[in-house]
Order: sequence, then structure tokens, then C-alpha cells
Amino acid sequence: MTQERLSGTPRGPGSTNRSRLIPPPSSIIWAMGIAITGVILYISRGMVLILLIATGVAYLINPLVKRAESIAIKRSVAVTGLYLGIILSLIVSAYLLVPRLRAEVTALSGSFPSFTKQLDETIDAVQAEVIAKYPTVSGMFPAREARYDKLNAFMKEQTEDLPGLVSHLATIVIAAAFIPIFSFFILRDSPKLIQSVMDRLPPAQIETSVAVWCEIDRVIGRYLRGLALDGLVIGTAAAVGLWVLGVNYPLLLGAFSGLANVVPYLGPILGGGLAMLTALMQFKSLSPIGNVLILYLSIKLLDDVVIQAATIGKSVHLHPMLLLASVTTIGHTFGVFGMILAVPAVTVLQEIIKLMLERRRYRAGVSDPHLGKGVPVQPYVC
Amino acid sequence: MFKLHWPEWTRDPEQLRRLKLLEKVPLFAGLSRRQLGKLLVKLFEKEYGAGEAIFLEGEPGKALFVVLDGKVSICRAGQGGEHRLATLGPGAYFGELALIDDLPRSATARADEPSALLILYKSHFDDLIEGHSTIAIRVMGNLLKALAGYVRTAQTSGTSHDALTYSPSVVAPKQSEMPPERAGR
Repeated sequence: MTQERLSGTPRGPGSTNRSRLIPPPSSIIWAMGIAITGVILYISRGMVLILLIATGVAYLINPLVKRAESIAIKRSVAVTGLYLGIILSLIVSAYLLVPRLRAEVTALSGSFPSFTKQLDETIDAVQAEVIAKYPTVSGMFPAREARYDKLNAFMKEQTEDLPGLVSHLATIVIAAAFIPIFSFFILRDSPKLIQSVMDRLPPAQIETSVAVWCEIDRVIGRYLRGLALDGLVIGTAAAVGLWVLGVNYPLLLGAFSGLANVVPYLGPILGGGLAMLTALMQFKSLSPIGNVLILYLSIKLLDDVVIQAATIGKSVHLHPMLLLASVTTIGHTFGVFGMILAVPAVTVLQEIIKLMLERRRYRAGVSDPHLGKGVPVQPYVC
Repeated sequence: MFKLHWPEWTRDPEQLRRLKLLEKVPLFAGLSRRQLGKLLVKLFEKEYGAGEAIFLEGEPGKALFVVLDGKVSICRAGQGGEHRLATLGPGAYFGELALIDDLPRSATARADEPSALLILYKSHFDDLIEGHSTIAIRVMGNLLKALAGYVRTAQTSGTSHDALTYSPSVVAPKQSEMPPERAGR
């Protein structure tokens, strides 16, 4: 340490001991900017969520736009054409699938008023089945009246928030209208946005800073597209399997299983659980549950070994422990959407930390011990 | 085979201009127009002012650069300041080793005059070659030819064997030593 530093002598104009304690103005402006952005994001979190979902949709469609761009078609023309195509396919699939789905929804809503009674009868039937097999456990089950009261109270508690659910439904309808519009503009204008950010970055930083964005873009794009494809395959497999097993509402349960699959770990349990509950209430016996369980375990095994390997693959380089911890923690704080966004969020963080460590290592002149591994060093070149 | 002809108003003149330039880049020689199109959508364009650094020696190498317009100098720090190793013009490329390894840049690149560059990031390149083995084989083949060219040139000009062993320093020979296919000549 130099004498100048030890004595606390100012090193330049305007440099005092006090200035060391107070961060430079740019840091204060950055901190204030981040804080204000955080507050704005929190206030408008509903809209932020819609924007995030719209970005996800844009990621799903982007490869098709890129394909059109690769043959020198204007991006705006490609995006508009694709949207028209998607709208047309949605109309056709609605024409083919909606009557069947509507029949399932009508049947389901018709059975809602007697739901508690049906559930009670199912529990009775299952109890009788268990007692018939294992008479010694008969004393473990509560009296029917007490159970019925508890069940009624539980159902009342669940349906009390129905007005709240209706308001949520309104939000979902608004989101359904906004998401396609937002994703259209994100798809059409994202290259211009990226270009304008690149134009503002310091030239010497372009390579490293945009490289992080490229890696994040690649990982998230693959993850989201893989997830969508995975959900589609799982949903179809579940619907077909349930239809073969003769379980009611196969289309609805298949759609739910496919959608729930986007939530890591919890999703497959929810999808399988609901299908098993439906089978239990329909057949009022434990034996069909085994078939549904085998179906869902087979789908899960197929998903882990074949489908995920082919769709998501190695796009996410997260350790399973870190993946589980991030899904649980972020899910606990932000709910189901937090669970879905946990993987991309942690991936982004991981890539940024990786680049920062890499830069630090290079500046310190330390080479990466992992680099060059497996590459034999030639003793000569000829 | 049936070939679809798109009306003129649907075509992007900027993409067509870039496509024509890419056809002349030696690194992408042998790629069909369709394959070049797939490569093209992975590229970013960036303009640099005269004297602006494109990358600095010692920084992590993450991308390949293709000169669209202008002139770029490749320099290396040495005794008594920076030494110019090469000057590159439109159609030439540099920073190609970033597509192969993750080692730091062994030279600095600087725009001599206002220049426009196309940038291909390693992650996008990896993404492309994973699904398109033909593109990977062609580009890697061209890259190997260029690297073999450096090694032969350096050997004939008397560079020691130590410097030619596995090392990222074989990046930019002097322009006079540069193989013609590399300099876009």
C-alpha cells in the first residue's frame, strides 16, 4: 500500500476520505433505477405475467419465423402469415374437438351438485372393499355421519370463494385476448429491439455481453419449445390411455395432464392424482386405480427416458438438486407460475454468473482447468 | 422439384444483400443458398466507428466476425506497444477460434474506419451445427483448411515448433503470410 493511501491524502481533485464511503453517483442512480423498476413490476405484476407468457408463446413460434427469414422473406410478412395460419388451424381444431370437449364439460358440470354425495358413496365403497379384504382395519375408519359432515364442511370451504374464481376467470379472458396480440408484436419487433440495445452497448463489450444473451436465448428457447412438445405428447398419451381404460372425461384429463406437466415434479403428480380420483369415483373400487397408476407411471418413464431426451434434451444444464431446490423455493414464493418460470430464471442467473467468473479468471490470468481436457497435445505439427 | 417463387413485396432486400456477401466468405464456401440462409438468421449486424475496439486481447472469445463494410486491424500487444498483424476488408473473417475453444482472445481487433460487421456467436453456431451436420462438416472443413494454411505458412517462415503446438496463439499471421482463401482475396 502506498504512503499516499496510508496517510489518506486525496489522490485527485475532489477525492476525499468521505468519497470512499459514499458510492459514486452512477451507483446510486443504478440502485434507484433497479428499486423503481422493482416497484413498477410489482404493481403491474398481472401485466408482467401476461408479457412473460406472450414472450413464451413468441419463443414457441420463433423457429418458424426464422425458417421463413432464411429464404429472405420479410419478418413482418412471415409473422402475419404464421398468425393467420395458426388462427385457421385453431378454428379447424375447434370445429373437430370442441363438440366432444363440450360434451365432457357439460357432463362434468352436471355432476357437480351431487359431487359430495358421489364422493361419500365412493369412500363408502372403498371402505367396504378394504374391510372385506382386511377385517381387522374396520375400527380405523371414522363413523359415516362424522365423515359426511367433515366432507360437507370441506366442500363448502372450497366453493365459498366462487365469486373470487369468477373474477379470476375475467382476468384469464383478458389475458387470452392480450397474449396473442403481445406475442405478435414481440415476434415482429424483437430483432429491432435487440439491434437498438446492441447499438447502445459499448463496442468492446458487445462480444461478451451479447454472448450471454445468445446462450440464454438458446437455452430458454429450447426449454420452452421442448416443454410444449413434451406437454403435447404427455397429454395425448394420457388421453388415449384413459380412453382405452374406459375412464370418464379422457380429453379433459389428458389436457390437464399435458398442461400440468409444465410444472416440474408437481405437475405429473397432479395429473395422475386427478385421473386416479376420477377413476375411483367412476368405478367405486380400488382396482381400476392400479391401471391408471400403471398408465401414468409408464407415461412418466417414457417421458423421462425418451420424450424429454428428444425434446428438452440437454438444453438445461442444471443439477437435479439445484433444479428441485429452485422449483420449490421460487414456487413457494410466486406460486404455480413461479414453478414454471423457475428453470428459465435460474438458467439466466447461472449463465450470467458463469460469464462473470470467466472474465474474472481471464483477467487474473488463470486458465480454466476443464478446458482442453480430452484434447491430446501434439508434440509436433506436420 | 417444385420451387415456390415468392412475390417481390414479400422479399427482404437487406437479407438478400447479406446472403450475397456470405456467398463470398471463404469460411462458408461450398454451402448452398438454403444453408447460407439458415446461417444468416443467426447473425447480428453491428456498426463500429473508426478506432473502436471490436474485441480486446485477453477477453473471452465468444464470436466470429465477418467484415461487411470497412477495414479492421488485428493487433497484438508487444514490446513498445501494439503490433499490427493484419488488415482485413469486406468478405474477410476473424475471431474464428472462438467457434472452436473457449480460450481468451490472443489479439485485439479494431475498426480502422467506420465498419459494419456480421457477428456469429458460438452458442448460435453450436445450435446450427447440432441440427445440420452438412453445414457443420463444410464449415469445419473450411476452418481446418484455413488453420492448416496458417501452420504451413508459419512453418515455412521459420516459426519454432513450440509456438505451433496446441495453442490458441495461432490466430492471426501477418497479412503477407495469410493464406489467400482466409483473407477473402
